[in-house]
Amino acid sequence: MKRDVQSVVLVLIGAALLRISLGGEMYLRYVKAGLRPALIAAGAILLLVGLIGVVRDGILRKHEQPAGEEHHRDTHGHEDHAGHEGHEHAGDDEHAASGGSHGHDHSQGPRVAWLLCLPVIALFLIAPPALGSYTAERSDNVVAKPAAKTVDAGFPALPPGDPLDMTIGDYSVRAVWDTADTLNGHNVRLTGFVTPGANGTWYVTRLVISCCAADATVRKVEIHGMAAPPTDAWVQVTGTWLKSDGPPASESTIPALTATKADRIPTPKEPYE
Amino acid sequence: MNRMSEQTMPPRGAPPSGSAPPAATAPGEPASERPEGIGAATAARRPWRPGQLELFVAGLFLLLIGQTWITDRLDSRAIQAWSTVFVAIAVQALPFLVLGTVISAAITAFVPPSVFTKVLPRNQALAVPIAGAAGAVLPGCECASVPVAGGLMARGVAPAAALAFLLSAPAINPIVLTATAVAFPGRPEMVVARFAASLATSVVMGWLWIRFGKTEWLRIPRRFTEPGSGSRWEDFRTGMQHDFLHAGGFLVVGATTAATLNVTVPKDIINAVSGHWWFGIVALAFLAVVLAVCSEADAFVAASLSGFSPTAKLAFMVVGPMVDVKLIALQSGTFGKGFAVRFSTATFVVAVATSIAVGWWLL
Repeated sequence: MKRDVQSVVLVLIGAALLRISLGGEMYLRYVKAGLRPALIAAGAILLLVGLIGVVRDGILRKHEQPAGEEHHRDTHGHEDHAGHEGHEHAGDDEHAASGGSHGHDHSQGPRVAWLLCLPVIALFLIAPPALGSYTAERSDNVVAKPAAKTVDAGFPALPPGDPLDMTIGDYSVRAVWDTADTLNGHNVRLTGFVTPGANGTWYVTRLVISCCAADATVRKVEIHGMAAPPTDAWVQVTGTWLKSDGPPASESTIPALTATKADRIPTPKEPYE
Repeated sequence: MNRMSEQTMPPRGAPPSGSAPPAATAPGEPASERPEGIGAATAARRPWRPGQLELFVAGLFLLLIGQTWITDRLDSRAIQAWSTVFVAIAVQALPFLVLGTVISAAITAFVPPSVFTKVLPRNQALAVPIAGAAGAVLPGCECASVPVAGGLMARGVAPAAALAFLLSAPAINPIVLTATAVAFPGRPEMVVARFAASLATSVVMGWLWIRFGKTEWLRIPRRFTEPGSGSRWEDFRTGMQHDFLHAGGFLVVGATTAATLNVTVPKDIINAVSGHWWFGIVALAFLAVVLAVCSEADAFVAASLSGFSPTAKLAFMVVGPMVDVKLIALQSGTFGKGFAVRFSTATFVVAVATSIAVGWWLL
């Protein structure tokens, strides 16, 4: 990869990172919200290094023959971007003087760098959607048992609300592990996407990521009493807790809900719970 | 061989004359002359031929034009899940890779080699544990540590010490240990076990390298042994650009591998062996290699793997930051393929053994 192309690739990656982190909420499809400052910083650094490279290796290097006035711009531009001290000028002189041969030494960059175009293309052209039912179908639902003291002391009373908005995680833990049945008599509303299930049931589903989409785990609630909306559609399901009459609670118990209403909603900004 | 004259070049232009012909470095791009040098031919003495940059830009335009066609072809749930996981791994690793290459370039551009010879004891066997413990100060995940270790070696740090640092840094830094404590609430022994097992593995690997390592296995990155440009900032910029593009390319190799395994390997296979303690440990160690989860997140993944023994979860967290498909790709890029294969295999064995020992002792 030649020096000028290298710089353009850096600019593209930097721009792609800034686009998904600064120019919208797209980064939330791939990583946690907390990574945003790091993405912005990395994007800015890559963009800056790439732009300096475009100026120094691309534009200025070409006009080396008429070194006189172009050379001024070289030093000037460099100062603008990097903001460093006076001793730099000597270095720049030397650099420009040996420019032709020196640039040649470095002009062939690593070939593997071409692969960096893949994520750029994916981000700008394809913009992969957040993970959905495909991943949810292929991972097991685990409702981790809360710490022993929570179970013994009992879950705190549910806040008022009719319907009461709950995360699928909160609902699952109470539905499976709450021995005092605090969910009883509450009209709750869950938000998630549709994953088809066995025997005509379906799941309202949410994926949980702890760092990036590669470590997604699934949380799902089985919906009874309502026909399944299309797979991967986002819905808000209102209904009441359906107590499991199966084997005693375990981490693989799937909580259930008797639905009275299921409204289609647009994909939320933060697709993961 | 002046293959294009000054006047015909577009604003961003190609590097100066004398470099290799364009066909040699444009894989996947047709090398033949393209007819679209429309206005250019008039001013040129010889026929206009596209350089790498022109071909690259033309390729991007083709992709832009064919966008709808391409996305229609990719409209399958499996491919979408694959591309999301691939992009997610790349996006989540890039900031740490940038951090690592900035530190590495700064070490090679600004820190004189004498600093390291003063700080680290001359005796390599002593330098290894010190370098391993020093891994605690590099905040980040494994993507940052590979370029930093490369930079340390280029600055004359003994390979054994740099390798101990490479292994320990992503596992024992405060961010990762905090994440581990959060993922295993009420079980501080998990954090202690992770710290102990990771540090022990990295130190043992450093000592093994002193005893058995051969110099010819390791390709120490030597990009700055040639006289620099005379300007430290220019060295810093070119060094960072080179390191980032190099490591980034291999990161993409690793991300595609990890995404493929992530989407295709059924989790049932792994769960089927959870009951057996010895299989369970080896299964989770292999899972850590193929999933290539960032070391800041792997504690949460380990915690979610219900049914496995704590020792198996510990093995997952010790192996993951040291050996995974993404890291093997990054290491082969930085230190050579022969090194990556030998080193990763040995590290895997040592990490599993250490996890079993520490797990038996602490968990």
